[in-house]
Amino acid sequence: MKKIILVVNLILIVSCFFQNLSSASDKQRQRIISLAPATTEILFSLGLDEEIVGVTTFCNYPLAAEKKEKVGTFSQPNIEKILSLKPDLVLATGLEQAYIVGKLKQIGLKVYVSDPSTIGELMNSIKEIGHLTHRESEASVVVAGMEAKIRQISEKVKLIDQDKKPKVFIEIWHDPLMAAGQGSFVDELITLVGGINIAHDTPRAYSYFSPEQVIERNPDCIIFGYMSDPENQINIKGRMGWDKIKAVKANHLYNDINPDLFLRPGPRLADGLEEIYERLYNK
Amino acid sequence: MKTILELDTVSGGYGRETVLKDISFSLEGGEFLGIIGPNGSGKSTLLKLMSRALFPQKGKIRFKNNDLSTVRLKDLAQEVAFLAQDTLISFSFSVWEIVLMGRIPHLKRLQFETKKDFLIAEKSLSFTDSLHLKDKKINQLSAGERQRVILAKALAQEPILLFLDEPTSHLDIGHQVQILDLLKRLNRQTNLTIVVVLHDLNLASSYCNRLLLINEGKIFKDGSPEEVLTYQTIETVYKTVVVVNKNPLSSKPYIILASQDEQRQ
Amino acid sequence: MMRTKRKLTLLILIFLGVVFFGICKGSVSISITELFTEANQQILHLRVARVMLAILVGSGLGVCGVTLQAILKNPLAEPYLLGTSSGAGFGAVLAIILGVSGTFLPFFAFAGALLSIVLVYNLAREGETIPVQSLILSGVIVAITLSGIIVFLVSIFSNQTLHGIMWWLLGSLQIYELRLLVTVGLIVLAGLVSIFVLSQDLNAISIGEEEAFHLGVNTETLKKVLFLITSLITGALVSVSGMIGFVGLIVPHMMRLIFGPNHKILIPATCLGAAAFLVVCDTLSRSLIPPIEIPIGVITSLLGAPIFIILLKRKQKIK
Repeated sequence: MKKIILVVNLILIVSCFFQNLSSASDKQRQRIISLAPATTEILFSLGLDEEIVGVTTFCNYPLAAEKKEKVGTFSQPNIEKILSLKPDLVLATGLEQAYIVGKLKQIGLKVYVSDPSTIGELMNSIKEIGHLTHRESEASVVVAGMEAKIRQISEKVKLIDQDKKPKVFIEIWHDPLMAAGQGSFVDELITLVGGINIAHDTPRAYSYFSPEQVIERNPDCIIFGYMSDPENQINIKGRMGWDKIKAVKANHLYNDINPDLFLRPGPRLADGLEEIYERLYNK
Repeated sequence: MKTILELDTVSGGYGRETVLKDISFSLEGGEFLGIIGPNGSGKSTLLKLMSRALFPQKGKIRFKNNDLSTVRLKDLAQEVAFLAQDTLISFSFSVWEIVLMGRIPHLKRLQFETKKDFLIAEKSLSFTDSLHLKDKKINQLSAGERQRVILAKALAQEPILLFLDEPTSHLDIGHQVQILDLLKRLNRQTNLTIVVVLHDLNLASSYCNRLLLINEGKIFKDGSPEEVLTYQTIETVYKTVVVVNKNPLSSKPYIILASQDEQRQ
Repeated sequence: MMRTKRKLTLLILIFLGVVFFGICKGSVSISITELFTEANQQILHLRVARVMLAILVGSGLGVCGVTLQAILKNPLAEPYLLGTSSGAGFGAVLAIILGVSGTFLPFFAFAGALLSIVLVYNLAREGETIPVQSLILSGVIVAITLSGIIVFLVSIFSNQTLHGIMWWLLGSLQIYELRLLVTVGLIVLAGLVSIFVLSQDLNAISIGEEEAFHLGVNTETLKKVLFLITSLITGALVSVSGMIGFVGLIVPHMMRLIFGPNHKILIPATCLGAAAFLVVCDTLSRSLIPPIEIPIGVITSLLGAPIFIILLKRKQKIK
C-alpha cells in the first residue's frame, strides 16, 4: 500500500515538473521581428517560422514570409506596429536603419544589427543570430552548407587557366550607370569565382560609374543587378559606343540571375555564387 | 476737326458687372479731354474701353470710322499710345532701350531699328527733357524722371491719340506741372489728341479744354471747364461743399474745398 | 553696342573652347591625337554625344529660365516652377513600376510632362486669360501634388523605383541612343528659335503687361504660346536628363548681369553661356574622380554659386 502511494506521488510530482517545463517553453517561444529581407531569409533558414511575428513589405523569400504580418517598409518600419507585436528580438541592418535602431533601443527593445560587409562577416552574423534564437545547431548547418558550396566552386576555379579568367562588369542600374565595386558582396563573389571586377577600384560598394570606363576596360561579361525584360538586353547592344565591348559582341549579357541572390547578404549568396559560376564558365 | 473716337450708347464693365451705362460722346482731333469724377465712378473703365483694353458689353466704339474691336492691336498701337498709372519696371533696361520700345508697333519682329527710329527716339527724349538720361538705367531714376521717360516712349510711337491714366498721382507739385505743361505743348504744337484721367479738379480745369464728368457710371456733364465746374455740379457729384472762384492766372474755374469749420462761417 | 559685340565674340570663343575641352577630357585619359584614331572611336562618339546633350540641356534650360522670368516678372522663376519636371518624374516612376524602363522611360516621362502641362493650363485659366499669379500658383500646386505621388509610389514599391528615381532627382547627362538625342535636339532647337523670334514681344512684356498690350503685343496669346513652348522644351529635357538645378534659375541672371535685359541679345547669349556652363560642369563631373561620376547637380551648384557671387559683387561695386 505504502509503495503504491509513494509511486503515485512520485509520478504526480514528476508530471507536474514536466507540465511546468512544457508551459515554460510555451511561454519562452520567442517573438522575433525582422526589419530587412536579408535577416528574414536568415531566420527562415534557421528553421524558425512561428517565432517570426513581423516582417517588412519587401521580405519576399521564402514564400512563407509574404504571409507574415507586415511592420512597414525597409526604410520606414512602423514603430507602433512593432511595439504592438511585443517582440523579444528585433533584427535590423546597418546604416539606413540606424535611426530606427536607436529609437527601438530607447524604448527598451532588444535589437540585433546585422551589417556584414564580407561573406565571412555574414557567416558570423548568421551564427550570432542562431545563438540569439537558440538555433545554434541549425546556424552551423547553414554556414557549413554555404562554406561547402564556396569550397566546391573554389576547387573548380583553381583548375582554370589564369588567362581564361573573365573580366566582369556588374551593372546595378542603367540610368545613371551604377556599378558594384569593392566592398559589395557581389564583388567578393566575382573574386571567388575567379573573375575580375572591372569596377574593383571604386571606393564604395556601389557608385555611379563612367560608361566611358566600361568601354575602355572592355569586360568579357556583364551581369545585371536588376530584373529586366529581354528588351533591355537589346537596349544594351543599342547603347552608343558599347557595340565593340567584348561582352556585347559575344552576347555574354546575363540578366537572368535573380539579383537577390547576389545583392542580399543572406544564406542564398552561395547559390548566387553557383549561378555566376554557371554563367561565366559554362557558356 | 476730324472725329477720332466715337462712343455710341456704350455699356462696359468686368465679367457680369456693368460699371458704365449708356455712354455716348465723340472725340475730335486736337482735343485735350479730361475725365473726372469721384472714386469708383468708372473713369479708368472708360479709359480702358476707349483704348481697346476692354470690349464694350453694349453699344459701339468707332475709331476713325472703324469698329474699334476689329482693329488689329499692332495697327492701333501705331496711332494710339497709353500711359498706365503704375510705371515701376523691375528689369534694368536703359532709358534708351525703353524709349526705343516705343518703335515696336512700327517694326516687324525680327527687324532691327533704323536711323529713322533712332532719330524719333532722340526727338522724343529731348522733347520730354530727358535726353541727358539716355544711358541711365530705368530703375535708377526718380519718379518724375521715370514718368518723363515713359512719356517719351509713348511719343516715340508717333501717336495721334494719347491716353493717360492719372499721370500726376505719384508726383510732387513741381513734376505735376512739368508733365502737364509738356502735354499742353504737345497738344498745341502737334495737334496731338489727349485724353487724361485726373482726380485733381484744378489741374483738369487749367489744362483741359473739355471735361467729361462721370458719376455712378454715367456722363453727368460734358463741356468746357467753365460749364462743368460749377459749385452746384461739384456738390451734387462729390457730395462735399465747395466754393468756385476764378483762377487769377488762367481765368479758369478754381475749386476751393470747404472744411467743416469753414462751412459754419 | 561695341562693348556688346566684343562680349558676344568672347562668349563664342569661350563656348568653342569649352566644347573642345569637353570632348578631349573625360573619365579615361586619352591624348588628343589618340582620341581621333580608330581604336578610340567609341569613346569619341560617346563624348561628342554627351557634349551635345549638355549643350541642348544648358541652352534649353537657360533660355526657358530667361523667358519665364520675363513673362512671370519674377526673378525666382525657373523652368521647373510650372510643374513639368514633376510630371516627367511621375511618368518615369510609372515606367519603372510597369517594368518598361530602359527603352520606354523617356516616352513615359514626356507623356507625364504633357499631363502636367494640361493640368497647369486648365487650373490657371480664367476664361480667355491666364493671370500670371494663377500660373505660378497652379504650377506649384501641380508640382507638389505630383511629387507627393512620386514619393508615395517610391515608398511602397521595390528597390527598383528607388534606383530609378535617383536619375530624375540627381540628373544625368548620360546618353545612350542617338535617336533620342536627335529627337530632343529637334524639339529644343525649334523651341529656342521660336522664342528668339519673339524677343521683341518678350522685351515689351517684361516692362509690364499693360505696357506691352498698348505697344501692340497680344499678351494673352503670348503668355499661352510661351508657356507651351517652355514647358515642351523643359519636358523633353527632363525626360532625358532628369532634373539639373541651378542652370535655369541663376545662369539667366548671370547673363542678364553681363549682357543686359534686351532679349534680342540676351537669348542668344544665354544659349551660348548656359550651354558652355553645363559642358564645363559635365566634363568636371566625368573627369574629377574617375572612374566615378559625380552627380551633375552637385557640380552645377558648387561651380555656379561662386561665379554668380563674383558677378553680383562686381556689379554692386560699380554702383
